[in-house]
Amino acid sequence: MDVELREIRDFLASHPPYSALPDDELDELPARMHLRYFRRGTTIVELNKPNSSLFILRSGAVDIYRDGRDLVERADPGNTFGTSSVLSHMPSRYRIVAIEDSLVLVLPGDVFSQLVRTHPEFADYFNTGTSGTMKRAVAQLENDTSGRIILKTRVGDIVRREPITAPPTITIRQAARVMTEHRVSALLITEGDHICGIVTDRDLRSKVVAAEVSREQPITTIMTADPMTIGSNALAVEAMLEMLSINIHHLPVVDDDKLLGLVSSGDLMRLETANPVFLVGDIAKQSSSEGLATVTARLPQLVAQLVEQDASADEIHRLVTAVSDATTHRLLQLAEAELGAPPVPYEWLVLGSQGRYEHGLGSDQDHVLLLDDAATAEHDGYFAGLAEYVTAGMESCGYPRCVGQVMAVNPRWRQTLKSWEADFHRWMLEPAAEAVLHAQIFFDFRSVHGGTARADQLRETVRSLAPRSPRFLGHLAAEAVERQPPIGFFRGFVVERGGGPQAGLDLKSSVHCIVELVRVLSLANGIPAVNTVERLHAVAAAGAMSAETESAILDAFELITYLRLRHQARQVAAGESPTNAVSPDALSALEKKHLRDVFGIIRRAQQALAYRYQTHLMS
Amino acid sequence: MWFNTRSWSRVTQEIPDGPIRQYVVDDKPDPATPLTQARLLAVDVETTGMDPKKDQILSIGFVPVNGTQIDLSGAGQVLVRAGVEVGDSASIHGITDDAIADALTPSEALDVVFGALRGRVMICHHAAMETGFIGNACNAVHGFRPRLSVVDTLALQFRLLSQGFDEEPPPGSLRLWTARSQFGLPRYAAHNALTDALACAELYLAQTAEFQAATTKPLTLKSVLKY
Repeated sequence: MDVELREIRDFLASHPPYSALPDDELDELPARMHLRYFRRGTTIVELNKPNSSLFILRSGAVDIYRDGRDLVERADPGNTFGTSSVLSHMPSRYRIVAIEDSLVLVLPGDVFSQLVRTHPEFADYFNTGTSGTMKRAVAQLENDTSGRIILKTRVGDIVRREPITAPPTITIRQAARVMTEHRVSALLITEGDHICGIVTDRDLRSKVVAAEVSREQPITTIMTADPMTIGSNALAVEAMLEMLSINIHHLPVVDDDKLLGLVSSGDLMRLETANPVFLVGDIAKQSSSEGLATVTARLPQLVAQLVEQDASADEIHRLVTAVSDATTHRLLQLAEAELGAPPVPYEWLVLGSQGRYEHGLGSDQDHVLLLDDAATAEHDGYFAGLAEYVTAGMESCGYPRCVGQVMAVNPRWRQTLKSWEADFHRWMLEPAAEAVLHAQIFFDFRSVHGGTARADQLRETVRSLAPRSPRFLGHLAAEAVERQPPIGFFRGFVVERGGGPQAGLDLKSSVHCIVELVRVLSLANGIPAVNTVERLHAVAAAGAMSAETESAILDAFELITYLRLRHQARQVAAGESPTNAVSPDALSALEKKHLRDVFGIIRRAQQALAYRYQTHLMS
Repeated sequence: MWFNTRSWSRVTQEIPDGPIRQYVVDDKPDPATPLTQARLLAVDVETTGMDPKKDQILSIGFVPVNGTQIDLSGAGQVLVRAGVEVGDSASIHGITDDAIADALTPSEALDVVFGALRGRVMICHHAAMETGFIGNACNAVHGFRPRLSVVDTLALQFRLLSQGFDEEPPPGSLRLWTARSQFGLPRYAAHNALTDALACAELYLAQTAEFQAATTKPLTLKSVLKY
């Protein structure tokens, strides 16, 4: 008898968490299931009724309502539902309804329990809401956060492919053919795992073509015998020095006489141009905004490489911000060189994402001028010119102008410390909802030029005043809970609460859900930090948030910001301009699942905030 | 349509002990059984051709349906040693002569299928194929044709599509895979007896759900039985 429910097996194998099961378990699984059909409009699991099975949607569509009212998820084929009542052994808190004719695989609770007990990866999938799952998701995205700079990178990390090898018995002609086939510039001659020689393009050129050695000669006649090698644990910079010292371009990587691969000087060069430190160094050397633009043009590529090298979103943001800061700073120096020394001291404040060290690709410029209190109306001409020089320069370097005109070119935002303090006082003590909404990004300010004495003083004002301004915090909280994350994904669309399906997931909006939430809590607790991650740590350290929530929000923030950077890096690689809307098709099933968890984390944090600030009472 | 050529008393005396005899002597499922409690078995045969008189069974797939639920644990498929070259039809079913060499004899295969069919009503799409081929195989092995209770999903589809219309359903709309697509049922890549039996069982669930939605009375087996 040949029982092979291959269609169902393959269906399960292509959807998490079943895809995490070993083959033999997958082979057996279909025969332990039932199939049921639910006509559109029929209820699959009734609210407050016990449920002992998991359901996997085979075809059709299913809506899941919490307490029978709030739509929390619309399931696509491949989605599993009914989990919580099986795990809790409690009556279902959800009503689950087929909204289209639906075919459903039914996994009995006891089979599920056995799978959970025997397969940890399978079980992990169901640990939603706990930060452990999210941590692993993030860890899967970012394997190694330490290796990217030539001084830190280990040689073993650069070796990308299996080495191309050949035995010493082959002829020169055969060796040349192997090298052409594999498009390599060097061929390693090996006996077993032991390397006995190396042949490079240069050998073929100089020793064969030029010296007219016969191509039928054995390769041993032209190879470099017993070549210099390097261990995989050596630093990239050591490999580079080694190559430079004896003028070679290839180093076999060998550990304990075992050949691991080959590094070329090209590999090391690439590593170096991908180094943001070099980029920032280049920015400081430029003497015109055109020159700066040629340097910042390398930024998208750099981000793409960093994403590829599995740097964390936080690190990439900081590096992108470092480039933005360096560009701003250099433009101000150039402006001062052209316009003359400033008539009074000033500080250039960056706001918003640059202020928070969270600048990404395509982020716009938000900045204001903080002038010394000695500044008068007659000085404004100078600062208007300075602002225009920098703003235009930033624009040509790929930073779009702020559509809300929050830039130093706007005369409203060129003012003395005294005037700024008056503005902040007004926002915090006599808040009008609209004004607070627009003022939000001002609270993420940071000085990048002209010292920080005045900015520090301004920050101290905010720090001491904000916690004592409940109405101001209430407006911020109301705004922070207003922006709701999507519910999930359905058939390649994003399901928004109370809205129709959207073609793209607005990652910026999801990022801002967290940024705004954390900003309120941070200001409420008199925390001076502006970076979202630092703010989170400080809020938790101040006891205003549980360590568990802190960890969950950190992971959620890292995941969405990472996905945004990856999305933008892919757009750049495809020659497109970076945007914030990612198509659900570009996300893996697991990423979608983790994003659903992220949306849940955000919703819970928003609910807690709404409760604390009674935002429904705010007008 | 086929007829029994010998009296049932003689037949029941002559059938050897085994699943086929058991099926024949058992009471047939009561047509008054509510569909929610009916026990059925979706069956599909893959053959060397379309003519039960000339062509032979290559494989039989089946999957039980208990009320409104398909019981995948009872799913099965047998390959049948047909004793002929597979020929062109191999390209449709992917069953090659090599695979057939390991297969069951027609007698063994029938025992497996009738064992699964015990106490159940057969579901097929275009039932004349299955009843014709299984009847012929029984006749060849045991010299008689058992009476089979059948639900034909093709006939059900015809009823669904012609409800309220005078005209016939459009050509092609009754084919298994077209009928399934009307209920949004998944596409299957493979084409073998078990997959087709499963496809047929899923279609049956969809069709009976549709019929049941049109009436407040609980439907019975009688409302879907063909023979």
